[in-house]
Amino acid sequence: MTKALKINKNSEQGIIELLKFLLESGKVKGVFTLKKINKEGAIAYSLITKSDELKDAVPFYPLMPTNAGKLISRFTLRGSTNDPVIAVVKPCELRAFIELVKREQGSLDNIFFISSTCGGVYPLKMAVDNTIEKNLSKYWDAVMKGEVPTDLRSACKGCEEFIPYTADMTVDLIAKNDVDKQCMILLNNEKAEKLTEGIKGEFLTKELDKGKLDKFRTKREAEKKKLFDEIEAKMKGLDGLIDIFGKCLGCHGCSKVCPICYCKLCEFESPDSEYKPSRYEADLEKRGGLRVPPGVTYFQIGRLDHITISCVGCGACEDVCPADIPISIIFKKVGESVQKLFDYVPGRDVEEEIPLLTFKKEEFSEFED
Amino acid sequence: MIKSEDNSKNKCAIVSSKSDTKESVIDFLKKAMDEGIFDAVLIPMMTPAGDSFAYVLIKDKTLLKDGAPLSPIMSVQGAKAVSSVTRLGKGKMKIAAVMRPCEIRATVELSKLGQTDLENITLISMDCPGVLPLSDFLGDPKKGMKLFYDAAEKWDYKPMRPVCQICDKSSMIAGDLHIGTLGAKKDTFFIISNSQKGKNVLDKLGIDPKESADSWQAKVKTITEEKHKKREKNLKELKSKIGGLDNLTDTFSQCINCHNCMRVCPVCYCRLCYFDSDKVKHTSEDYLKIAERKGSIRFLPDTTLFQMGRMLHMSISCVSCGACEDACPVSIPVAQIFSMIADETQGLFDYVSGRDIEEPLPLITYKEEELNDVEDSND
Amino acid sequence: MRIERDNMNKEEEFMPKILAFLCNWCSYAGADLAGTSRLKYPPSILPIRVMCSSRVDPLFVVKAYLGGIDGILVAGCHPGDCHYDKGNYYTRRRFALLKKIFEEINVDSDRLLLSWISASEGTKYAKVATEFTEKIKKLGENSAKNKIFL
Repeated sequence: MTKALKINKNSEQGIIELLKFLLESGKVKGVFTLKKINKEGAIAYSLITKSDELKDAVPFYPLMPTNAGKLISRFTLRGSTNDPVIAVVKPCELRAFIELVKREQGSLDNIFFISSTCGGVYPLKMAVDNTIEKNLSKYWDAVMKGEVPTDLRSACKGCEEFIPYTADMTVDLIAKNDVDKQCMILLNNEKAEKLTEGIKGEFLTKELDKGKLDKFRTKREAEKKKLFDEIEAKMKGLDGLIDIFGKCLGCHGCSKVCPICYCKLCEFESPDSEYKPSRYEADLEKRGGLRVPPGVTYFQIGRLDHITISCVGCGACEDVCPADIPISIIFKKVGESVQKLFDYVPGRDVEEEIPLLTFKKEEFSEFED
Repeated sequence: MIKSEDNSKNKCAIVSSKSDTKESVIDFLKKAMDEGIFDAVLIPMMTPAGDSFAYVLIKDKTLLKDGAPLSPIMSVQGAKAVSSVTRLGKGKMKIAAVMRPCEIRATVELSKLGQTDLENITLISMDCPGVLPLSDFLGDPKKGMKLFYDAAEKWDYKPMRPVCQICDKSSMIAGDLHIGTLGAKKDTFFIISNSQKGKNVLDKLGIDPKESADSWQAKVKTITEEKHKKREKNLKELKSKIGGLDNLTDTFSQCINCHNCMRVCPVCYCRLCYFDSDKVKHTSEDYLKIAERKGSIRFLPDTTLFQMGRMLHMSISCVSCGACEDACPVSIPVAQIFSMIADETQGLFDYVSGRDIEEPLPLITYKEEELNDVEDSND
Repeated sequence: MRIERDNMNKEEEFMPKILAFLCNWCSYAGADLAGTSRLKYPPSILPIRVMCSSRVDPLFVVKAYLGGIDGILVAGCHPGDCHYDKGNYYTRRRFALLKKIFEEINVDSDRLLLSWISASEGTKYAKVATEFTEKIKKLGENSAKNKIFL
């Protein structure tokens, strides 16, 4: 049984109270969470140092403008923070950060994480015309009942990794029918217990309700199967791939918002991927015609090869795609398959090596001749 | 080097055409390829899935029939396509690129920026009816195509990109040849040569530009003036809506810093953008310090800095194509905003981006006496 | 490296083009041995010598495939015998990853082959080359070589 902290406020307000306590007591210097940043209600991740700014915080708002793992990586890219900071992030964002730490793109020192069992987020498009605001009560209704809203990001609809692995504190949200009255925060380790010493609230022991969460998992599994089957139907060999990526603009937006894509100079934007005139001439001789700029399918397969081992299935790629390609499902599907091959779950454990950096003396004989 | 010959602007050739101008343009290109004038043609084609259009460099003449000049959507700005072919050298192939005036202008700007070698490229523009926003096409491509072609036939700008609706350069001649459909008699179109290269092409095809282009010019003048008025009005309204630091920050409040706008922009060619470089990657101490000063900062900060920085870096060459607005995932009217800034910054130097390949970029030249109003009045 | 010509009529039958990445210390030497031993195998192989099979960037394979090559063979020392100690262990993992991706997106994963061929295994090289060529012949030409919208 885990120690837990119960605050008798709705879950979002409860967390805000905890964050206030941590800032005001000086236990942390900064809080990293979603916040309303203007009167119109635009939402963005913010780094907050003054506790009255927390009045506009919306820690569990169903929107992911940027994957927070990428942001925290940027925060600690040039070195770990000397002052303690606490971040409220979604499970996939935390996993992405762990994967980035493995790649020396961030540091875990002095950063605490609050996460939750995650009900998913809405696509960015819905933030544009304030549709999310209008759907908020429906969203929380679904969270409390343990259901999957149909207009969620497709990556979220089919996400089975809704329980965080390495968070210091986990807020119990899914299928908990009193999240509007109560905030239940599981304190997963000593760090969490130390942080919450002195706060006004009830300390008890608690576990996540496995039965309810398993039931919820089956619903997500069913959605995932639907999404995977849909995309599988389109994957008819090379022609199928060309059809799927035919409308790709080559903007590389998917790569830029992906937390795992951290390379300063992407291979597919480097001189290695540029065609010299002689290559154009040879290719045109061979094919009769060539789409330009070239290398759209090459970029997609190449990115699959480079990042799917650590893909956390957050879906940021699909939100940013101007051509409405179901890119998050493609990467999620391939990602799960290659991760299964290596029995690897990205972000599960910072000590777990990235599969391509290690080996066993005997393995994968099925791939050898 | 392309040299502009002003007097050839008033003379043109009138070419008889099929009722479908697209087909006639294809025929024209095919003939030119047959005569060995061009080895390849750069033109949009529908994707195999029928859900988009992409630029294809065509060498095999039999593929030409599937070409779609002035495609309903601009998935990739034509200048980017041209630049990808000749950035590393002019190659041996003589290529004809058929594109919209804004794409031709952007190509000319890229040439000035050393990003494309135009020696073996013949740039052919056409009177442009505008282009559909990507989001109005992707949901139902067949419907989108009908919407576009119906509107294009009537020169109805309403379905087009917001910046297309206020584009007063939709018939601007900036390349080597221009195909004029406005003011043309039924089943004909004008071909106007704008350079020696263009004239050579017409010579080789046995086309002698000796007709008057007055009816084309008259129709273009009418349309251009009408759109110019609309442009001034719209951009003035936009200026009051986004002017001032608060309004500006609010306008970009939804921006997620994905930088899509920058990457689809033909003028933004930097392999490593300043705003992706180490210069904007601060230490956690610095971020916390800034956060403490304000109590709370959005993270990552510097959204408005990116937008204003991009204005600073590229507005001089902006051609108001609108590719940026199509690519923005949170529907910020970036193209309109940048068009407004570009009109002002280019106006400051009496410069029109892509107008003339000989015209140097304003920031790499100077006059000894100029811009007194920017200087301190105390002398 | 001399390749023995088969008695096939090239104009009638499809002779695949197979790119073979051969590690310098084992597989390339093995291929050489096949040659000096006058072993027969089809003229389908286009060899590329690399110092170690782990030099093979999966992107080489992707580029070659999209360029229209009919088959790709990656050959190196047997695991445990790598001249550089552990290179081929990484090769195996990278290859497994790439092949899995090709399988998942349903794109000709059968055109990729990983084989361990030592310097003394000239016969094995000829066997692998022959069998792989047969397999590719059955799969037919890689249509990627004609694609315009890649």
